[in-house]
Amino acid sequence: MIERWALVSGLKGDLDTYELIQKDLKKTPGNITLFVLGDMIGPEKNCNRLLHRLINPKSNDLQPWCIYGWWEEQILLESGYRGDQRAEALRINKGEEVVKSLTNAVDKSFLDWIAALQFGFVELDCGLIHGSSKDIGENLTLDTPPLTLLDRLTRLQVNRLFTARSKEQFHLELTEGTVNSEVEDLNGNRKKEQKVPQKAVIGIGAGKNYTLYDVGTDNTQFVQAGYKSEKRIKGFGML
Amino acid sequence: MNQAVISCLHANLPAVEAVLKDIELQGITNITCLGDLVGYGPQPNEVIELIRDKKIPTCQGCWDEDVVDGLDACDCSYPSQLAEKRGHFAHQWTTDKLTKENKDYLANLPYSIRKDKCLFVHGSPNSQHEYLLPDMDAFAALERVENARAEILFCGHTHQPYIRELADGSIAVKIKNAAPKDIQEKEIQLPMRRIVNAGSVGEPRHGGTKATYVVHNEVTNEVKIREVEYDLELTCKAIIDAGLPPIFAWRLKNGFEFAEQAEDASHVCER
Repeated sequence: MIERWALVSGLKGDLDTYELIQKDLKKTPGNITLFVLGDMIGPEKNCNRLLHRLINPKSNDLQPWCIYGWWEEQILLESGYRGDQRAEALRINKGEEVVKSLTNAVDKSFLDWIAALQFGFVELDCGLIHGSSKDIGENLTLDTPPLTLLDRLTRLQVNRLFTARSKEQFHLELTEGTVNSEVEDLNGNRKKEQKVPQKAVIGIGAGKNYTLYDVGTDNTQFVQAGYKSEKRIKGFGML
Repeated sequence: MNQAVISCLHANLPAVEAVLKDIELQGITNITCLGDLVGYGPQPNEVIELIRDKKIPTCQGCWDEDVVDGLDACDCSYPSQLAEKRGHFAHQWTTDKLTKENKDYLANLPYSIRKDKCLFVHGSPNSQHEYLLPDMDAFAALERVENARAEILFCGHTHQPYIRELADGSIAVKIKNAAPKDIQEKEIQLPMRRIVNAGSVGEPRHGGTKATYVVHNEVTNEVKIREVEYDLELTCKAIIDAGLPPIFAWRLKNGFEFAEQAEDASHVCER
């Protein structure tokens, strides 16, 4: 059986989209594991129904494996789950109204569940996180310097990093490279050439745009919920 | 023109005085300090006041931060729980000993100092607590300097002086799974960057007992590690007289990296 991961993020309370994705995945061949990489909540709509569904999947739902994202971090900050800190960055950038909308969008009974979510998963040699291994709010995109991407991969000690924060869908491979290092200390000099190991950063998209990852072939498929996926990789089946 | 960079003074007044004398004898007036003025050693107020009197620009070190803010950082770098207990004792002793004026001074130190192409930090541009060890992943090391928009990064914290040059770097990337028009392959050349660790004045951990610091020639970019002898007995006696753990004196006298081997290698910080 083909092992595939479905990587979803940025639902922001949108139960309809989540149901659409669940429907898609039922028709997708293979053994599917569903990962929700944060931003299940947001300030735009009431998130309680989606949260309830994620916590209590229907009998025919794929079990979602969730981590927290940037919006979850904001509500945890604002609700006192991070000590004395509050969601000041959100307050400054978006205003008090958005902070209120966010706290109103999520029933307090869900906060303990959100607080218990992990920062990320490491599966096989892959890191699954919301932003980056440095910061949950960091956007990794095609324009991020490769040196930064490599660092974020190295911090998690993984070969594939799946990220959601940028909302973009991309698959960037670091194929080769070197750097020469020369260290001088009180014991003398030593030189070393270090090579770039083959690694990749994958932006999984947000909302209706999600990603399928074929664990065996390392192929990604960018999908829009409710639509046929674009077939870009030879040998990777259509939905 | 030469500049001297000192770090990790750790309340060891005889060592600081000896290093400042050595710098003066070379005619160097441009000095930058990378923090950790206090901690472990017996003369925290005296060392702070000497640095303040000489108006030496200083970054805040991890000990300086913790003494001001409380122990909020992860202390997993301690080799054992016993070492951690001693560290906490020294933290409390230092907190009790410091004058309010000197605490305020530490509280207001900047995280970093920038002078043209040089960036001065205690640990790394990310954190006063991050160790940039001499043999850490070369790309990760280069990322620390490059993302800090510096050409030379001066740091301390490891207590091991070194100069590391990262050169002739490149990374090739390929966009996969895109429309044919968007598929790209490119190779990015990486800039040459240097990390200079100033070692430690007050608590050397390079295998010797001498205080260390570095001298950087701003014209030729040459960096030299300096080793300075100081009155070790005086500091060791002051440690004992102050009631600090005697093992701090024993460690200084023997030039050991750590006071002991880890007693509980499985210790996991849960803070």
